[in-house]
Amino acid sequence: MSSADLPAIPSQRVVEALAAKLRRRQVVGSRDAALETVFVLRQVIAKARFQNIHQLVVLIKNVGRTLAQAQPKEHSVGNIVRRLLHLVREEYNNAIKSNAPTRPRSLTIANFVLQGQPRKASLVTKAESSLVLNENDPDDPDSFAKTLKPVLMEAIQDTLDELDTVYESIGRNAKDHIHSDEIILTLGKSKTVEMFLKQAAHYHKFTVIVAETGPSYGGHEMAQSLSSIGISTFLVPDSSIYALMSRVNKVILGAHAILANGGMFAVSGSLMAATAARAHSTPIVVCAGQFKLTPLWNLYHEYGALDFADPSSVLGFDEGDLVDKVDVLNPYYDYVQPDLVDAYVTNDGDHPPPSIYRLIKESYDDEDNEL
Amino acid sequence: MAVPTSPARIRPVEDKSAQLRPSPSVIPDVARGAAPSFLEDPRTIPHAFDIYATYQRALSDPKISAPLAAILALTELISRSEAGTMFELVKALNDGAEALSKRAPNPIGLNAGCELFIAFVTLFPHESASFPDLKKELVRQGQEYASQALNFRAKVAEQTLGFIKDDSVILTHSYSRVVMQALLHAHKRKRISVYVTEARPRGLGLKTCDELTAAGIPCTVVLDSAIAYVMDKVDFVLVGSEAVVESGGLINAVGSNQMAVIAKAENKPFYALAESFKFHRLFPLSQYDLPTHKPGILSFPQPALSLEAKLSASQGRPGPDPSSIKPKMIPAAPQSLPYTEQRTMTPEQIAKNPDVDYTRPDLISLVFSDVGILTPEGVSQYLVGMFAG
Repeated sequence: MSSADLPAIPSQRVVEALAAKLRRRQVVGSRDAALETVFVLRQVIAKARFQNIHQLVVLIKNVGRTLAQAQPKEHSVGNIVRRLLHLVREEYNNAIKSNAPTRPRSLTIANFVLQGQPRKASLVTKAESSLVLNENDPDDPDSFAKTLKPVLMEAIQDTLDELDTVYESIGRNAKDHIHSDEIILTLGKSKTVEMFLKQAAHYHKFTVIVAETGPSYGGHEMAQSLSSIGISTFLVPDSSIYALMSRVNKVILGAHAILANGGMFAVSGSLMAATAARAHSTPIVVCAGQFKLTPLWNLYHEYGALDFADPSSVLGFDEGDLVDKVDVLNPYYDYVQPDLVDAYVTNDGDHPPPSIYRLIKESYDDEDNEL
Repeated sequence: MAVPTSPARIRPVEDKSAQLRPSPSVIPDVARGAAPSFLEDPRTIPHAFDIYATYQRALSDPKISAPLAAILALTELISRSEAGTMFELVKALNDGAEALSKRAPNPIGLNAGCELFIAFVTLFPHESASFPDLKKELVRQGQEYASQALNFRAKVAEQTLGFIKDDSVILTHSYSRVVMQALLHAHKRKRISVYVTEARPRGLGLKTCDELTAAGIPCTVVLDSAIAYVMDKVDFVLVGSEAVVESGGLINAVGSNQMAVIAKAENKPFYALAESFKFHRLFPLSQYDLPTHKPGILSFPQPALSLEAKLSASQGRPGPDPSSIKPKMIPAAPQSLPYTEQRTMTPEQIAKNPDVDYTRPDLISLVFSDVGILTPEGVSQYLVGMFAG
């Protein structure tokens, strides 16, 4: 442990508690995991003592690594950590800039090439910060932390607000995506898609076909919830997805994580639905919050990234005869290639899969890709 | 009309840079024949400075690739230039770049390097006290970049490592220094085996196979025509590049496009490895839009030739004796099949074939470069940011 961690022992307990919950899968769902991570990081930063930016970054990275390793399949944890690191660096750079406006930037050819790196169109600094940052001040070691912390707390509060309003933001344009008398196909139980459809139902009347999505059967809950507010819903078995596809106008899916190449991990069955939709030239729309954007590329090569669930729901122990003769796999997620998705509807706007890498470069820093 | 580049095309199987290093007999030909007035132009040549010779000297270092050699040649031009203002200097650089691209048989790589350097020079802030100081600074920057750029291959190799699983079977094309470094780097940690295409007519694939086998990687050479045959056994395809263009497509040795099309048909990933100085602001709409597509390529022979003369031309023998067709055995073939004759193309026939081809961006899965892993669309983002931002 670096020396920056030792004083943060009280928050160490909080980190360990969350890591244990993640490991035991007591925190389920990307948004819940993301919210818990933000709370923990807020506490860590509030109680942390650091004298320069480097110590703070190392501290956050250590916490992030512990949490990510506790549950490597829950990518939103790592994404939130990366997002906060990016915000921390941004606030720090803003503060530095206001102090020393004339900073000669050495232009080398290597830097010149990096000018092509996508970055967010210059944000308007909310408050013209008149921060005077003293790094590594031997007389007053806490001055740097004390001046920077309020700004960081603001940034963290922004992230929390974004997470809280993710469903509303995604559903804001729902009425433009769905038109009257359309037939929508969806899979499994995704809170994001549910809110999206409910928002659209305020404006248009349409029909939803929900596939039951075995063996977890999340589709049952989804169908119940949608029909409870008056949307005309059909619950169908997974095997009829292809057969019904010629009647479907749009396929709307949720995602577990969006990868940097524009592909995604989604509940098992999504790849089948997407392929069937492609065969019928039906548009496929994916609703996901921006905290699901993961800056990793080669996860789809990792077989284990599919996160296997309990095999007894596929072949129970009551089939005693078969159990030792058969290998049973129950992957929870599918990897869907980028060319099968038409658009990602996120809380920050709609994007086609080839632009996802640009969003990632804007929201995260390259050096954080490997926590 | 003389085709001055034809004798320069056929080289013994050697280093790829050797193809741009012509034999001593060629330079005088070019200089006498179709050379521009570069050598006689008093504005640009203060001391009989031959930029092409400088370029070739830089290229003789096996680690330096064409765009870097072009940058080094241009820095040499700056240090010798007597320009007094930025405008004159940029004009001299543009003239130098044009001269280089006229003399080189394959100008794509060096065009990319020249454009990058000239754009950099144009945007460089005038902080220096005097103009000679600024020139010295530019020369220093250019040389520093060239030495830094030699580390780019290591960065690309590190990124490729994440995509190579244990026991991967990799298909590659011809000889590429970036791919070699990536494969050797992966070999230290994982087990890989490699298929490499022969890459006629230069046969550089054999060089790849020799080097890989010497390093302990199992490697087999595959006929260019057997790419579809082998594609099912392959996990992914890895190729180097001469240039990555604005559309996100790839320019590489001829045969890469073929490999990409077949890989797409069999659903295998196709990865291109390119350092950032190979990003080029070209937007070819078809194969024939490339600057390397000369009018002679893929042309049909003149119908006015008599049958005898045609036959003798295709056999490469002076005498018009069609009845005694002597088969030309490939000298390096270890086991020549006794029941078929083996014939090879003549230099004239090879001259009608292209050197490089263009692969469309939708056939490419990812581009690995030192600025990060990019989708083909991401490359155009970089180019716009560099040259228009």
